[in-house]
Amino acid sequence: MRREGFGVARVGGGGLGCVGVGDGGRARQQRWLQQYELVGKIGEGTYGLVFLARTKQHRKSSIAIKKFKQSKEGDGVSPTAIREIMLLREISHENVVKLVNVHINHADMSLYLAFDYAEHDLYEIIRHHREKLNLSINPYTVKSLLWQLLNGLNYLHSNWIIHRDLKPSNILVMGEGEEHGVVKIADFGLARIYQAPLKTLYENGVVVTIWYRAPELLLGAKHYTTAVDMWAVGCIFAELLTLKPLFQGVEVKATPNPFQLDQLDKIFKVLGHPTTEKWPTLVHLPHWANDQQHIQGHKYENTGLHTFVHLAPKSPAFDLLSKMLEYDPRKRITAAQALEHEYFRMDPLPGRNALVPSQPGEKIVNYPGRPVDTTTDFEGTTSIQPPQPPSGNAPPGSVSAQSVAASRAVARQMPAMVGGQRIPAASMAAFNAAAQPGMVGLNPANIPMPRGAAAQQQLRRKDPGVMQNPGYPQQKRRF
Amino acid sequence: MAANFWTSSHCKQLLDPDEVDVVHPLDRERGITQEEFRLVKIHMSFYIWKLAQQVKVRQRVIATATTYFRRVYTRKSMTEYDPRLVTPTCLYLASKAEESTVQARLLVFYIKKMWPDERYRFEIKDILEMEMKLLEALDYYLVVYHPYRPLLQLLQDANITDLTQCAWGLVNDTYKMDLILIYPPYMIALACIYIASVLKDKDTTAWFEELRADMNVVKNISIEILDFYDTYKIDPQKGLLDEKINPIMNKLPSKA
Repeated sequence: MRREGFGVARVGGGGLGCVGVGDGGRARQQRWLQQYELVGKIGEGTYGLVFLARTKQHRKSSIAIKKFKQSKEGDGVSPTAIREIMLLREISHENVVKLVNVHINHADMSLYLAFDYAEHDLYEIIRHHREKLNLSINPYTVKSLLWQLLNGLNYLHSNWIIHRDLKPSNILVMGEGEEHGVVKIADFGLARIYQAPLKTLYENGVVVTIWYRAPELLLGAKHYTTAVDMWAVGCIFAELLTLKPLFQGVEVKATPNPFQLDQLDKIFKVLGHPTTEKWPTLVHLPHWANDQQHIQGHKYENTGLHTFVHLAPKSPAFDLLSKMLEYDPRKRITAAQALEHEYFRMDPLPGRNALVPSQPGEKIVNYPGRPVDTTTDFEGTTSIQPPQPPSGNAPPGSVSAQSVAASRAVARQMPAMVGGQRIPAASMAAFNAAAQPGMVGLNPANIPMPRGAAAQQQLRRKDPGVMQNPGYPQQKRRF
Repeated sequence: MAANFWTSSHCKQLLDPDEVDVVHPLDRERGITQEEFRLVKIHMSFYIWKLAQQVKVRQRVIATATTYFRRVYTRKSMTEYDPRLVTPTCLYLASKAEESTVQARLLVFYIKKMWPDERYRFEIKDILEMEMKLLEALDYYLVVYHPYRPLLQLLQDANITDLTQCAWGLVNDTYKMDLILIYPPYMIALACIYIASVLKDKDTTAWFEELRADMNVVKNISIEILDFYDTYKIDPQKGLLDEKINPIMNKLPSKA
């Protein structure tokens, strides 16, 4: 008997699989896509495109389809896509995006990943508050978003996965529906299982945004630990509080160089100069040791993180934030520890629907939906005449219905308009049942030790992975 | 989950011993017997290993590639999926999954150099097309666990690290068989330690007793490994002899 089809929905195979090559493949490709009704393009990155589609079955659910192009001539399926599929196929958690289908089109050698769709992400939520509402995010929402982010991250870290590219645009939040306001961590293209030795970003030739990058990486640390993700969470927490990125360094893009002086400068200005007393292994970091002039020579005053985030230095929120932004990665708070922090035990308590406050009578923010470019088809071809918006997603007559790619000229003239207009998502139904999964014991070698049947039993215990956790793959944003 | 074997897709996909070595109907039509099927898999395990020596990848990548290869043939026929193409493609895919990508053109280059037989030759395009077919055939499950890591930890725990070389070599040889599709990797590691300790005359009885692992399974795996050596007596460098494998390969259709 073959033991398959767990957690993640059955992928490929059966009638959905497409085995043909050539003309037949194209027909089957159409058949595969025919199970979905294309709404439009919602994102674009170096890997390919992201589409919004709806299933045609009984309940029309929204699906985000990430299409990977062949990376380069002669390189086959992009290693990023391989890593993402390989990890998503193993994991299942309420606060992690859910891969629902994979499809290969042999005709043009493209690969499609279908995810449950999430209407919002932290980038857009923060931006809406900053640019449209001019109002901070309510404390209940901040705390719930942060708790769920940590909950998903704790699951990943417990399973020896480092995300490595956490940033607001990769943290999705579900729109209206059964999972309204639930956080989903997305974009596992850079994620790693860290039981095997990891290569550095530099070696892999990968460029990620530097604003959320941990100081040890900026100083040339060769090995990744889960602490790099916690630094990013700290940066995101601060951004949720203040609506602007905490450390907005200017990236040096010339050569693939982990050393980013301006980013370090931004960090040191807020957190003060790192010292070897507080961070003993600092002396071993290549860029600290090598660059006397810029790094060690310059003396920064500790201006105080609390003044940047407008928190009382003695408040639990500030205590948690400063523990996330601890310089020494070995002293930095872990996701598991953070979930136990006092901040999450005091009012307002975090809830499952982060967007709807638990306190009755509090104002509910109607966040706009994702802008959809309805003029682009699955092939990535943009039509000149935009078709009628097939969904209620794109407001009629809105510029947001236009292709970001096709309307770059327009976008330059009206930058505030592109992607700016959305349909408000009305929402109610909050409940405060924060699901805390029981985690499985750690054991990198998967050996039932400590010995005995009890230990084995524990290792065998199934993770209570929550089904139906929608999400949507993230669109890459370059800053 | 990715780093816990018991909740991994690998664990859930483990097969019963009678589910492997089943000759696909299409291959049976071509006169391939179960024994011949086994020989092709042995031959191709050597092929992966020899090719990997050329492109210089870690043992782990070889092990993952061999596991992919063996998994594919529990589902697909050799008639439709030419092992001579599937093998290098498994190495190609495994190199990506294990984060040490080997370029397809490099594989094509070394195949040409090492195997003059034209039926082994493929173009980059063939490998890239097969890569996608393999992803489907593997149902997109790519995370594989191996006995190497538990082996080292267990040897350390038993304080018999002087057996490392012997036991490691035994683990390498288990990939000539389908054990990785049937047993949890740490059980394979234990069987290799068991054999190594017998070969090197180390008394590990007390340690094994304390482990409370299922010794019946450990002994069964050990017997399978010893039987394998006994039956095939293969030259560890050359692999199967041409006169043994060629008549079998000739039963399979080669590329147009």
